[in-house]
Amino acid sequence: MDYARPVLADALAAQYVTGTLRGGARRRFETLLPGHPLLRAAVGDWRSRLMPLTSVVTPEPPPAGTWARIEQQLWPKTALAAAAATQPWWRGLAFWRGASGLATVAAVGLGALLANPGPQAPPVVVVLQGTEAGGPALTSIVASVSGDGLSLVAQPLQPVAMAAGRTLELWAVPPQGAPRSLGLISAQGATLIRRDKLPQALLDQRNTAALAVSIEPAGGSPTGAPTGPVVFAGKLQL
Amino acid sequence: MSFAPQATAPEDWGLRSRELGRLLSRSALGDRAAFKQLYDQSSSHLYAVILRIQRDRNLAEDLLQEVYVNAWKAAASFDAQRAQPLTWLTHIARNKAIDSLRRAQSQPRFESVHHEHDDDDRPDLDQRLVDEAPGPAALLERACDARQLGHCMQDLSAQQRQSVALAFFDGLSHAEVAEHLCQPLGTVKSWVRRALMTLKACLERAARGDSAPDDAMGA
Repeated sequence: MDYARPVLADALAAQYVTGTLRGGARRRFETLLPGHPLLRAAVGDWRSRLMPLTSVVTPEPPPAGTWARIEQQLWPKTALAAAAATQPWWRGLAFWRGASGLATVAAVGLGALLANPGPQAPPVVVVLQGTEAGGPALTSIVASVSGDGLSLVAQPLQPVAMAAGRTLELWAVPPQGAPRSLGLISAQGATLIRRDKLPQALLDQRNTAALAVSIEPAGGSPTGAPTGPVVFAGKLQL
Repeated sequence: MSFAPQATAPEDWGLRSRELGRLLSRSALGDRAAFKQLYDQSSSHLYAVILRIQRDRNLAEDLLQEVYVNAWKAAASFDAQRAQPLTWLTHIARNKAIDSLRRAQSQPRFESVHHEHDDDDRPDLDQRLVDEAPGPAALLERACDARQLGHCMQDLSAQQRQSVALAFFDGLSHAEVAEHLCQPLGTVKSWVRRALMTLKACLERAARGDSAPDDAMGA
């Protein structure tokens, strides 16, 4: 079947969301979803149309033990400890699963490669791997910070396909507290971020634990914190 | 911005939706306390939605657990610009529930007092449906109180409404809806298809009307 035909895509998405697409057809449809933006958009539309119907279902509290089981499955060790202090997101299991599932998040000092003989500290390169949130198509973004921490160049290894009105925003993630925006970066090529946009002592691990890229509305996050999915992330390792 | 149902801007969300959105964002950042709050505020709804489709309570609880484990892992992929948080969660829950169904389950789903093939005094279909405690048709009636969707439901024929309600609320397949309504499969398929297309057209019309300064009467 030609899933690229809008009418067919819409009809299939309608049946999928309604629940009448079943069995092999349903599984096939779900397999195709990640690679077909048209199908995904149609599913999103139907979801928004039909899900409000469920608002009239009389709520029913789940059994008392359900939350404990969820906790136990998500955080087997700490759930026992019960004192589950809130963790910063870059330490969260889910956050790193996508980034480190296939390859260990790489951060490589490129000093040797660049053969910079001067007294300056070598630049630090952070490879931001595509996360699960970004889907399978994403590769990596390489961020190179000059050794003195005064400039940063970010470049996707391959151009990143972006929906209209969306942009990529780069964040410095400190060990404690909220991520700080380093500015918008190009989805197509290299972006140079100069010193006046960079926080003090960016390369100090007390200030920066990781770099991350989220998808934001044009012009950047309206709130000053990431609002869209985090699609690239990489730890800073010196 | 042209009409798209998912295009509700975050600032237009209801209070509850905003709160859930905030909790979901915090969960994406690894905040377990926020995730617990999210669970407290949404699990009764999701459990009820699952239970209508998967009536085995033990299985339904397992599914609910899977839903929240998935939600935690996928929280970072939730895009507040494109979906409402409860819609997103409900979709995950319904998918889990539908996937848990096996064909063989079609028979015992309706412990209705009515005999399936007793044509002589078979009550009218509407009656059969509303008799099932909070049945799908009754739910649809209640849904009709809610905004545009309810208005658009009025555009459907009774048969279309029943078919959609059985499929959507109770997770019945086309074949099961056909069996339940004692109608040919092809007929039911076309009721559902037309009902969905009618709904879509009506919702899009309504959205365009709403964005007009007054209403569409003067056109």
